[in-house]
Amino acid sequence: MSAAGPSHGDNAGKAFLEVREVRKHYGAIKAVDGVSFKVGPGEIVGVIGPNGSGKTTLFNSILGQIRPTSGSVEFCGEDITAMSPLELSRRGVGRTFQTLQVFGQLPVRDNLIVAAQEFQGSLPGRLFAAPDAGLGERADRMIELFRLKHVAQLPAGRLSYGQQKLIDIAMAFMPNPRLVLLDEPCAGVNPSLVDQLRELLVELNRSQGGSFVVIEHNMDFIMKLCPHVICMVEGKVLSEGKPADVQANPAVLEAYLGN
Amino acid sequence: MNELIQLIVSGTATGAIYALAALGFTLLWQASGTINFAQGDFVMLPAFTMLFCMIAGAPLWLAFLATCVAAMLVLGVGFKKVIVDPLIRHGVIPLVIATLGVSMALKTIVRAGYSAEAHQFPAIFPAGQFTIAGVNVSWADLGTLVLAAVIVIALQTFVTRTLTGRAMQAVAQNTDAARVLGIDAKRMVLYTFLINAILAVVTALLITPTYLAKFDMGDSIGLKAFFAAIIGGFNQTRGALLGGVLIGVLENLVGFYWSPAYKEGVALMLFLVVILWRPEGLLGKVEERKV
Repeated sequence: MSAAGPSHGDNAGKAFLEVREVRKHYGAIKAVDGVSFKVGPGEIVGVIGPNGSGKTTLFNSILGQIRPTSGSVEFCGEDITAMSPLELSRRGVGRTFQTLQVFGQLPVRDNLIVAAQEFQGSLPGRLFAAPDAGLGERADRMIELFRLKHVAQLPAGRLSYGQQKLIDIAMAFMPNPRLVLLDEPCAGVNPSLVDQLRELLVELNRSQGGSFVVIEHNMDFIMKLCPHVICMVEGKVLSEGKPADVQANPAVLEAYLGN
Repeated sequence: MNELIQLIVSGTATGAIYALAALGFTLLWQASGTINFAQGDFVMLPAFTMLFCMIAGAPLWLAFLATCVAAMLVLGVGFKKVIVDPLIRHGVIPLVIATLGVSMALKTIVRAGYSAEAHQFPAIFPAGQFTIAGVNVSWADLGTLVLAAVIVIALQTFVTRTLTGRAMQAVAQNTDAARVLGIDAKRMVLYTFLINAILAVVTALLITPTYLAKFDMGDSIGLKAFFAAIIGGFNQTRGALLGGVLIGVLENLVGFYWSPAYKEGVALMLFLVVILWRPEGLLGKVEERKV
């Protein structure tokens, strides 16, 4: 796909995320407690862990949704700790949420265009620019890729949860981001579509070359998609490595299944 | 029959003015969750500003343009930065109370600083009327309808057919998601406040020749605009238009066929009926609230 996304500046090709000792404490509750990991260019990293282990809080701390209590986040050599989502978006960092974040009253195609339009042209130009913004072709390709052609002109809010989830994911990739953090992409998606979704992410990783960090509870999905997996428990990294190694770790099994 | 049509036409023209003010209510609510109870006084202030410019020797068109600029600065940027931004994070209620305070302050300032008297305001449309198919229509009603229609269509075109308009819709529908996608939500909300300020100036231009420029002229227009927005549906711009026109037409019919004494109560009665029967408004959509 053509590069319609944010300017990648001098760091193009050096996409790199480094999370160092990030902590997020709410009083005595340590939601995230000293998490560190790295993501290389084009890498797909999975984050697993039981409910309440701090995965989403970690995402929110990385992405400026909440300010971490301590620690730092570096992206392409730049300190992005507590940077606003808007600033991160302009640096090529995107995300999806656990819950749906589509614009329900806008048609599917407009949802995709709105996801990338802010990186087009100048501010005064955008004020009266054509609604397509030169992104129509790109949106159509994304619609094709996500098999949403038959619903492309319908308001997104009228579609099924699974379809809206696919739109949500497609929107995150519209600006051609360098790094995407996907929070439970399989949640609510029909099991028959899970394999298709995994193939889509692999295809996007191949064609766009971005790095992904994926939170997911669907073990089969994450083990097949991610060459590197991090398991979090009680706000800390319990185990890290190849999917098979993490899966075989007795401490991970204990965290999921109990003693 | 001709009489009825005449009443409907002139009521629609008055309703179109209410609708412009109501449109401001719904736009601010959708973009930023602001309920502005000083909306009526946002119409009164430009009326006096235009009057002041004209007393200083400016022609009406120049007074209008100067007031648009001043309104964008004071009622747009100033209102957002000084009142809304610091208070919105504390919820709707503190902001509602603050806008009530702004309303009282504006009225008091104008009354004490200028005058408590009603002042004549020049009409922008010629006096007189014309007859079409036996129905007498005044040039003022026709002009008001055309101008209101042009503004509504232009606004609708801007919101639905431009990149910025769509970004404004995105922010109104889901601010968090819009931010993640790189949309500058603060700027989009500011645009909405600027649009509201201009709508207030246009409303003042259309309504002041009839209402006269008076420090409390905003009470009636503000209240009717608020009712119109709720009657039509607070989360729908089309609802504001419908609500405004319904109030304008019913006021005219009740005033003529029943008694002018009941005219001022029409908006309230309609509001009560709608809120009991359909709380989300005639065109409004039930909003889900995440808990």
